[in-house]
Amino acid sequence: MRNLRIGLLLGLRQIQRANKWTTLLIIFVMMFTFLNLIAVSGILVGLITGAERAVKAEALGDLILTEKDSEDRLLDTESILRELATYPEIEAFSVRYTGGGELEAHYKERRSLTAERDIAQVTVTGVDPILEDQMSGLSDTVIKGEYLDPNEEGYILIGYYYLEEFAEQFGDIFDTIANVEPGDTVRLTVGDISKELIVKGIIQSKVDQVSLNTYITEREFRRLFGRLDRNADQIVIRVKTPGTEATLKEAFVANGLDRLAKIQTYDEGKPKFITDIKNTFNTLGSFIGSIGIVVASITIFIIIFINAMSRRQQIGILKGIGIERRVIEIAYVFQAATYALIGSGLGALLTYGFLIGYFEKNPIHFPFSDGILVAPPEETFIRFLVLFVITLIAGFLPAWMIVRQNTLNSILGRK
Amino acid sequence: MTTIINATNIHRKFGEGNLVTHVLKGIDFQVKQGEFVAIMGRSGAGKSTLLYQLSVLDQPTEGSVVIDDTDVLKLNEKERTSFRLNTLGYIFQNYALIPDLSAEENVMVPLLMKGLTWEEARSKAQKSIDDVGMSGKYNNLPAELSGGEQQRISIARAIAGKPKILFADEPTANLDSVSGQQVIDLITTLNRENGQTIVMVTHEREYAVNCQRVVHIEDGKIVDEERLR
Repeated sequence: MRNLRIGLLLGLRQIQRANKWTTLLIIFVMMFTFLNLIAVSGILVGLITGAERAVKAEALGDLILTEKDSEDRLLDTESILRELATYPEIEAFSVRYTGGGELEAHYKERRSLTAERDIAQVTVTGVDPILEDQMSGLSDTVIKGEYLDPNEEGYILIGYYYLEEFAEQFGDIFDTIANVEPGDTVRLTVGDISKELIVKGIIQSKVDQVSLNTYITEREFRRLFGRLDRNADQIVIRVKTPGTEATLKEAFVANGLDRLAKIQTYDEGKPKFITDIKNTFNTLGSFIGSIGIVVASITIFIIIFINAMSRRQQIGILKGIGIERRVIEIAYVFQAATYALIGSGLGALLTYGFLIGYFEKNPIHFPFSDGILVAPPEETFIRFLVLFVITLIAGFLPAWMIVRQNTLNSILGRK
Repeated sequence: MTTIINATNIHRKFGEGNLVTHVLKGIDFQVKQGEFVAIMGRSGAGKSTLLYQLSVLDQPTEGSVVIDDTDVLKLNEKERTSFRLNTLGYIFQNYALIPDLSAEENVMVPLLMKGLTWEEARSKAQKSIDDVGMSGKYNNLPAELSGGEQQRISIARAIAGKPKILFADEPTANLDSVSGQQVIDLITTLNRENGQTIVMVTHEREYAVNCQRVVHIEDGKIVDEERLR
């Protein structure tokens, strides 16, 4: 305690009397090191989190009801829907019917049977346009034309990955049709049944489940696909209070809904690769950040070393008049700790006070997601602890090296 | 009077092999409690080196040093540091104040190290600074004081802990004659009024006249000793 008190006094006075610009520079180095540590991995993880958030909002929702493993579809969908209507915790839900079909364009202009057909194998989703819009905001993704009207039939929304002009940027990955605009007629074939549909709109989203999809009304879908039992493929639900989906799931299970459908929260139902990529990016970010830590610790080492070297005579005098080595080491460790604390504090202030909000409002646009900055406080705290401990070591080592030199040699400035 | 310093057959060599410099060549040196002894000699004679051996800042190559019944050569580094803190006081020719600390804090640090509370250390430090005639300069940084004033603070630091022996290594070397004389008068007063044991290195005869004994060193050996009082 005595050593600590005197060490802190010496350290504090050294900071107070140090060159202000040098101190400012050290604090900036620490701040940028902290930001490097937090922001690099935060943005990398934020790319996936942005994608995940979009998938949750535009496709999967908070809870997903799908067919049980032994079934093809949700059993007794009508009963499920009646049950869902009794839960006030549900903000919105959408019933989806899905199937595959062949979409053909420009068939009317085809002059001979041998001419190449403009076709694409597509996913078709039948929805109630109003419920789907409430659930996923599908109408917001319309970039050309209009959204589906529940009272109209014979219309289709086409995801932009199925259109040659939009999908070009991805090479030949997607099966596409060319030059289709709202108002054009296309033919959708499911098995032996074909139906002419008018393109109502083109939809664009960074979520594949939306952009690589076509939407028609559920009535139309059931007729086209012969799904007369009204059993759907998927029901997606959004809860009023985020974070309560697990509780709602428990309530569903308690009321026997799990006999009719497989019930999963988003976290349970999301593809595993998302979690894997997220972890990989996090590790990558930590690795890049750790290079920053090494640079910062070397910087702190050099600064403290030069500082201690330039005060070698004073250190010798302190030892000469009876001050223990440990006290002097504490003084330098205190300085390093102060730099780390202030630098990290400013970094944290900048991260939580500005950067996270900024990236939330101005996400980084990537083809597959809108990247945000993700910095969970508990992870940030762990990274700060790592930075802090390494800084303490970087402050201690040079002090230790110089303090252990011969006292008289230090006082007299001899080597 | 009891012998407080008893150094026997002190040798100090620097370097190795053919480059060995033999600075002290078998010095026997005793100081009695309450004595004020000056060590004089030309530059390079070995007077400061002798002081460093006596003041536990250095270790002789050969010989023994017993201070206040403690064989200081048997102490480890931590014990020597503690011994210096509790038994010895130092006045260096370059004042040796810590520039980041105020005058008061410079004096307080060894007192805090001795285990005094902040208030006790502060009170003792202020009294010590008052005793060397520097009242009102408690909060000045060393850079804000003249050379003579800094040396007074250095003396205040050395005596605040009431050391058994005070070592002064050419305390007037960096001072003008007026300031130098004031410092010598202050040191003399400490000896005469408080019975402080003092060992001082100086190369100026005029500053040694107040001592009880002057030891002359030449080429690493004591060549003469005169008793003035």
